[in-house]
Amino acid sequence: MADTVTGRAGATTAETGPVHHRRQPRGRRALRAMSPLLWVGPAIALIGVVVLWPVYVMFKTAFQHFTPNGFYLGPAGWKNFKNLFNEPDLNSVLERTGVWVVVVVGVTMALSLGLAELFNVRFPGRRVARWALIAPWAASVLMTAFIFRWALDPNYGVINIFLHDIGVLKEFGSNQADWLGRPDSAFAWMMVVAIFVSLPFSTYALLAGLQTIPHELYEAARVDGASKWRTYRSITLPLLRPAFLVALLINVINVFNSFPIIWGMTRGGPGYETATTTVFMFQLKQAFIGESAAMSVINFGLVIVVVLVFLKVTRWRDQVT
Amino acid sequence: MKRHIAAGIALGAAAILAVSACSSSKKSNGGTGGATGGGGGGAAVTLNFVGADYGTGPANSSQKYWEGIASDFHANNPNITVKVQTINWNDFDNRIKTMVQNKQYPDVMEGDYFPDYAQAGLLYAAKDVTSPGTFSNLLPVFAKLNTYNGIQYGMPFTTSARTLFYSKKIFQAAGISAAPKTWADVQADAAKIKAQGKIGFGMPLGSEEAQAESLLWFLGNDGGYQDSSGNTWTINSSQNVEALQFMSGMVKAGDTEPNPGTKNRTDLWKQFAQGQIGMINGSPALIPIIQDGKVLQTADWTSVPIPGKSGPLDKTLGVCDNVSVFKTDPKKQVAITKFLNFFYQDRYQTQFDREYDLLPATTSAINALSSDPTFGPFLSALPKSVQYPNQPVWSTVKTQIQQQIGLAMTQDPKKILDQIQQTAEKGS
Amino acid sequence: MSAAVATATASEGAVAQRRRRGRRRLTPRLLIVSVAAYLIGIIFLLPYVEMVITALRPPSELQSRNYVPEHWDWSNFTSIWKTGFGTNLRVSLQIAGGATLLVLIVALPAAYYTARRKFRLRVLFLLLVLATQMFQPAALLVGIQRQFTSYGLSPVTSLILVNAGFNLAFAVWILNAYFSSIPAELEEAAMVDGTSRIGALTRITLPLALPGVVTALIFTFIAAWNEFIVALTLTGDPSKGPLTVAINNYIGQYSVDWGHLFAGSVIATIPVIILFALIEGKVVGGLTAGSIK
Repeated sequence: MADTVTGRAGATTAETGPVHHRRQPRGRRALRAMSPLLWVGPAIALIGVVVLWPVYVMFKTAFQHFTPNGFYLGPAGWKNFKNLFNEPDLNSVLERTGVWVVVVVGVTMALSLGLAELFNVRFPGRRVARWALIAPWAASVLMTAFIFRWALDPNYGVINIFLHDIGVLKEFGSNQADWLGRPDSAFAWMMVVAIFVSLPFSTYALLAGLQTIPHELYEAARVDGASKWRTYRSITLPLLRPAFLVALLINVINVFNSFPIIWGMTRGGPGYETATTTVFMFQLKQAFIGESAAMSVINFGLVIVVVLVFLKVTRWRDQVT
Repeated sequence: MKRHIAAGIALGAAAILAVSACSSSKKSNGGTGGATGGGGGGAAVTLNFVGADYGTGPANSSQKYWEGIASDFHANNPNITVKVQTINWNDFDNRIKTMVQNKQYPDVMEGDYFPDYAQAGLLYAAKDVTSPGTFSNLLPVFAKLNTYNGIQYGMPFTTSARTLFYSKKIFQAAGISAAPKTWADVQADAAKIKAQGKIGFGMPLGSEEAQAESLLWFLGNDGGYQDSSGNTWTINSSQNVEALQFMSGMVKAGDTEPNPGTKNRTDLWKQFAQGQIGMINGSPALIPIIQDGKVLQTADWTSVPIPGKSGPLDKTLGVCDNVSVFKTDPKKQVAITKFLNFFYQDRYQTQFDREYDLLPATTSAINALSSDPTFGPFLSALPKSVQYPNQPVWSTVKTQIQQQIGLAMTQDPKKILDQIQQTAEKGS
Repeated sequence: MSAAVATATASEGAVAQRRRRGRRRLTPRLLIVSVAAYLIGIIFLLPYVEMVITALRPPSELQSRNYVPEHWDWSNFTSIWKTGFGTNLRVSLQIAGGATLLVLIVALPAAYYTARRKFRLRVLFLLLVLATQMFQPAALLVGIQRQFTSYGLSPVTSLILVNAGFNLAFAVWILNAYFSSIPAELEEAAMVDGTSRIGALTRITLPLALPGVVTALIFTFIAAWNEFIVALTLTGDPSKGPLTVAINNYIGQYSVDWGHLFAGSVIATIPVIILFALIEGKVVGGLTAGSIK
């Protein structure tokens, strides 16, 4: 295998002619130049074909006209975007997506600050308790969503049975019990599920962050007689900042792209009343492929913004060099 | 220690991967080998069949019905194998659309008929995949529904007519003596049933089949999706708006289940069978669900013509599920024709109808069943039935109705119908 | 920099163990903390307990309003195989297994090389990995569908590629960190003793990096196993789809077939949760590109 590569590389250099003048023989120098590609090339190819090329195809599709069955009819110019912006539901879907991301990520981060503190304390059986925490992280989000859908069943759901037992729910099968039938309460419950499945990662990320804070700092604070709250604010929080920001951004991406929770519990319905832009894109795709691609382009723009912030926050140069 | 466990798992997992990768590649090789072998005269052919599932539970799933036919057919034609796959109704349209978008066409499909597939040239004309005998035996009432540009593509496979089912038991408890005939009756009866702590009227406006439920109400007010010519869309007509307003009045008064826009037919039929709902529009397919539920005895329920605004409907919605054949491989055409002629035999038609209490779609099978007490009344309603539009844009319009019409219960019905009308007009 | 990170990660367990032995008195505060943590742990498990309970409910008791059924019934776990679940399980194993294998084959050399050598493409490559780590298939779904269906690949092959591509970044990061933490001198010493470069890699470096390899392997496997939106889009026929697509198909099947839905979910989730527990401490490092140690 190495032989063939050398051969081919040698031929290439021969054609392009001498570019760099060094004292090494040509073949070996070419091998040198090629060898990174041998090791890293497959990875670049995989990312290129699977991750980057679809970006291009998606942009192209957003400017093409298709039948609902996926047959190409011709270029569409900006028509797909125009149709998208004329969708009477677009504004409410965008607003809802904003609420979805802000509330889910906000509550998740706030709760996981507390959880991380709690699970950072060395108590007996901590390992087992931490294991319990990972279940929603490891399990398929779709299946978790189905569990909640079943638990919220207006007649036989265990959450409704519990609410009935404690006297909150008056009647099974009533409008009150039909949590997923009313858009507002359905959306609220789906945010609960989204927070539930986001908590483990955030908590673990913050736990890892807490462990990087040197013990000596706390000792020093204690010697200085600082209060617990003061110590938390002036030592823990600032030093936790990098971990917090990274966890926050990863959550923003995950929550923004989240599809199985809404699809599994309400399919975005009734109408588009519980859809976010990701679900809306999927609903549009059934009949309006170009318009759906236009929605994806807008979604992708938002992702790019988050990626840029992520690169800045992780100080990518430090990571890379 | 921990490291050893981890290493063990890694090795074990790697071994599993290797094994599964091997077996999968072997499988796919075998598969392509079989498919390419289909070219020769007597060589093996595999047909992919996709059908909707009409079953009420795993015990009577349509998978079993079709697998039975496939094995009978294989016994008669040893070189043709039919692979059967059924999809539940809730997901049927979505899955088929995905298959077609992905160009993973089945050879033969039974279920909804999509006029736009005929428009796109994906389908064989019915005449090209059936013998003259089989073709002329197909119920002529539904020919127009399945025709595009003067050529019939879809072939009716099973039909049904809609009626109003009500629970006599619940009616009795609520002190109602007569069957409802008008909208006003329905509303008054529903209110009485509600007072008994049950659901008055089951109104499935969720995405599964909202286009059927709303059409039944539109028809009660002389409305509909199109005018009688079948060429002009009348989705946002004042009759339709009025019908939705009446429905939303019932919803707001609590005469229906809560939030009808999120409730599907199958779920509500099940609840009717459990004796929780007083009235619901249904097809004969509801009967086996009632029997399965074991709550309502035969004497506890009945079905009557659907009430309209001022009297019962004289024409009902006739729904027909169809067979369409995709042009996947010209070499398969002969085998497909054999298969269609085979499963359109009376014995399989009547077997299907007895299994699911649906109605046949061939003249000879109708004649065979017309004296049956269960099927008789429904069969006589069929010729007068109203059907769905047959324009290619209907597929898109239907999806939008399923998605949106439930919102008319809480929002302005006119605005929602206007949007759907716009989609329909844009396409045609 | 990243070498230091990985060393910290690798030795973290040992340090923690030493620390733990330090003090272990049960103060009232510690008691409250433990009880609170246990309670939270239980809350996190409750939905999955409900999943198991529902899977074990006899069909007749699906409509009884009790927390725990009067009888336990295993029939969902036997009858589910008659609904074609075995095929779906095999497809899931093929997709997750294939994607994991592909990720390892592709990520191992890339991570090793970037950890050992400075080359011109290195910064560009790592930037590419770092940036695409944040891309998710959901945002690119239309592109993925149009692209992969035009290739005429089988859905399983397409899904192997997609899952491998989108999980590659994690594997590269975590492996890179582990390789960087292993001193190159170890390999060189072995090579002085006459071992070949590949021999040194397989006999010295790989075993030392094994925890990283296992983490990458399990994480990719689980991610591909749980993936839903692309699988739903690329497989039209649910009987030939992976478990997530099959379980989604129980919704709407005879109203909702909750018994089989949750029996299937139990089969699909329990092994995955156990696998995840094995790598739990190491995942954060890979997901955050080493920016959280």
